Amino acid sequence: MLLALSEGERHGYALKREILRRTNGKLNLGAGALYGSIARMLERGLIEESEERPDPHLDDERRRYYRITPFGRRVAQGEALRMRQLVELAENCLGLPEPA
Amino acid sequence: MRRFYHLLLRLYPARFREEYADPMERQFRDEYRETPGRFARLRLAVRALADLAVTAPAAFARELGHDLRYAARAYRRRSFVTALAIAALALAIGASTGIFSILNALLIRSLPFQQPDRLVELVLPPTNAASGRAAFRAWRDASPYLADAAAYAPNEMNLSLTREPARVRVAETTANFFRMLGTEPEFGRGFADDEDTPGRAGVAVIGYGLWQQLFGGDPRALGSTIRLNGVPLTVVGVAPRGVDYPEKTAVWTPTIYDLGRIPKTGAFAWQTIGRLRPGVSLAQASSRFEAEVLRAEGGHRPPRSEFSTEPHLFSLRDRLAGPVRSASLLLMGMVALVLLIACANLAHLLLSRTTERRQELAVRAALGASRARLVQQLVTEATAVTAAAALAGMAVANWTARLAESASPAQLSARQYAVLDWRVIAFALGLAVLTGIVFGVLPASLIGRMQPGPGAIRSQPGAKGSGVSRMRALLTAMQAALTVALVAASFSMGRSFLKLLATDLAFHTGNVVTLSVSLSGTPYETNSRESQYYAEGLERLRAVPGVESVAAVSNVPLLSSMFAGGQFKLDSGEQGKLAGLNAASPGYFRTLGIGLVEGREFTDRDRQAAEPVAIVSDDLARSFGKERIIGSKLNLGWGMAPRLATIVGIVRAQRIGGPAYETSAQIFRPVEQSSPEFATFVAKVRGNPESYLPICRNALQRVDRNVPVYGVRTLDQALAAALARPRFYTTAILFFAGFALLLAVAGAYGVATYSVGQRTHEIGIRLAVGAPAHAVRGMLFWQSMAPAGLGMLAGVGAAAGSGRLLQHLIAGAEPIGLRIGALAASVLATASALAVWTAINRIFRIDPTAALRVE
Repeated sequence: MLLALSEGERHGYALKREILRRTNGKLNLGAGALYGSIARMLERGLIEESEERPDPHLDDERRRYYRITPFGRRVAQGEALRMRQLVELAENCLGLPEPA
Repeated sequence: MRRFYHLLLRLYPARFREEYADPMERQFRDEYRETPGRFARLRLAVRALADLAVTAPAAFARELGHDLRYAARAYRRRSFVTALAIAALALAIGASTGIFSILNALLIRSLPFQQPDRLVELVLPPTNAASGRAAFRAWRDASPYLADAAAYAPNEMNLSLTREPARVRVAETTANFFRMLGTEPEFGRGFADDEDTPGRAGVAVIGYGLWQQLFGGDPRALGSTIRLNGVPLTVVGVAPRGVDYPEKTAVWTPTIYDLGRIPKTGAFAWQTIGRLRPGVSLAQASSRFEAEVLRAEGGHRPPRSEFSTEPHLFSLRDRLAGPVRSASLLLMGMVALVLLIACANLAHLLLSRTTERRQELAVRAALGASRARLVQQLVTEATAVTAAAALAGMAVANWTARLAESASPAQLSARQYAVLDWRVIAFALGLAVLTGIVFGVLPASLIGRMQPGPGAIRSQPGAKGSGVSRMRALLTAMQAALTVALVAASFSMGRSFLKLLATDLAFHTGNVVTLSVSLSGTPYETNSRESQYYAEGLERLRAVPGVESVAAVSNVPLLSSMFAGGQFKLDSGEQGKLAGLNAASPGYFRTLGIGLVEGREFTDRDRQAAEPVAIVSDDLARSFGKERIIGSKLNLGWGMAPRLATIVGIVRAQRIGGPAYETSAQIFRPVEQSSPEFATFVAKVRGNPESYLPICRNALQRVDRNVPVYGVRTLDQALAAALARPRFYTTAILFFAGFALLLAVAGAYGVATYSVGQRTHEIGIRLAVGAPAHAVRGMLFWQSMAPAGLGMLAGVGAAAGSGRLLQHLIAGAEPIGLRIGALAASVLATASALAVWTAINRIFRIDPTAALRVE
């Protein structure tokens, strides 16, 4: 979700569709899971609600937009780094086949 | 479909719903629109449901954590009040649960019988087992209201197998006893239909406990032989665990029509139980039974003396619950009062929290927090307090049930008071949830009336005339009324109990050891050598170092339940009152400290061959209406032939049942002249009597290994047992009353502090414009005391109107009355006045100018 927000702010449903697109339809978040995660990430300061609205003609005013915070960006980077190290470790130990 | 999703969203907790319900609904709508086809849409709905099932509990847990952390912070600021409220609730919930477990065991939990509600006990039916087998069976078969009837006669007997003999409770029954109750033996068989015919080979069913004890649970017990009072019986079955009806019976044998078969002693009673015919209600059966009794008596009721029992048909369940039932119900009522008081305290706590937070809540509401969210917070806070209290309460409940068990044990082991029973736990949980909701919703409902706006934010909470202060006044009045009623009851109970303790029993219980034996079925009885056993027993006990005096008596006070007796005449014709027959050895009256009014005690010269003598109690002596009774001859013959005994002494009449009972008239004969088949040895010892119990038992056991020695205890222990129930009830009520008083005073203090504190501003103005301080104090004092005062009046009224209710708890308890009620009210009034005055004075230490600056 943090990655999906890295390119700019989005509202909830757009976020869900972006995740769906980026994972090639593998991760389809239900509304409860989506907003539950949003609530948790808001609480931890990883994302924040943005006051800026796109052109009101383009969008429903009641929609809420979220954007990643600098802290959230650092957390996402840190997590990616950790995963890269894990992958490197796995590659050295096991060797990894090319993805199909 | 979309409306359905809207409803589903209500399952999320308030804060989450507030934040995300709209976007979630919108997302669902968008997805729904974008999904073509009915099947795909159905899949969408299923996925939404699954999503909800996973995420709603998680959201709940998260918000609960939030609310709890918030509540903990809020309560920590008022830790003393919170702790008091939790302790009060824990105690009240625990005590109610404990007492409920007793009621549950006695009245709700099923008896270990089939359709136990259809079982009845018949007291004095026109025909019983004493009428003989054929008559009883004919009566049963012809009965218009009984489908079946059985009979039993309970007794205690010596049981011997191979090891040391023991004393057990035995029921001699009809053959259909187990079949009628609808309980099958654990294994083996019950009695065959003709096994109660006199003269049949003896069989017995033994209790589960006895089977474990004697045979170590070995199934080969079946077919082995046990001896009851020397008579061999073959074990044919083992009763199921928990079945020990009647009265902790360990052995059942179908010899009720042949009572002479097993030699035994003492008085016995034929008891009749039955199962109602299908479709016949208890009331119908009862009226048919009454009609039957009336017919048998020839159409008119003979006058009955105060000693006789009226014929009656009882439900077996009520009969088994006995006096504990009404006592427990009453105790439950008292605990309910304490629970109400504790709830009032909790309500006070939450109300002041709510009003204190009115500003905060109003600000939050103005900032957009929904009412649902605030209510959720308050309910969580209240539930947290009651849940903590309920948990602690289970410990209290367990403790209460243990105490009650020791004070008045259940009659059937299957009905032991258990706290870990689902009904009991459900009761405790229900209680906790109910108090939590009621007292969480109550303050929360006040929020409903708050209009977010500048008025609410600035207004003086708790000001006079507001809903909150009216609610507070009502709670205070209620608390005062309940407390006065409880305190008055405790005073009355305490006084009655002290009276019991001070009752003159006419015998001493201190430093006396008792040991009982029964010689029925032993060689001593068959050869009429009982006196020889007693003489040897006395000799052996006398030889124990530290024993000061020893005697034997057939019915010792506090231990004997049944007595043989009658109304006897002097040979000059005067008839005395109903008196029990007893036998005593020389030195008995001295050993128990029973005062000799006139004449002499028995001596060693009162042998079998000597002149028959008797000693009578003074109340019996008076009842003959004769000036001088010593030297008169008393006719003790039951039938035609007179059996005369010369009265040689008069002793004080004793309360042999214990302090709660009246004195009993008695006639004593020398043991040597009456040869009772059973006796209790009493030994007066130097020093701690309990340390003598094993020594004395061994000494007596050495007379004959085959005669079991039972009832080895001190007379003080017997007295303590007789007083256990009144002591338990009195302690319980004193404790509850003390606690209620503490709660009420703490409540009064808290309310005064709070309500006066809320008026600091007003007080500042009054003082500033020149009102004398003492007048303002007086005004505040009377305003704070007024609701409590009204409550106290109501409490005195309620206590005085409660009548003889306390009789159920303690025999001879007087009605509470106005005087004790007024006394209780004055105690509470003094304590609350002190508390209120302290609270007011604390506030008055503030500088008036500071008071004006409040806000």
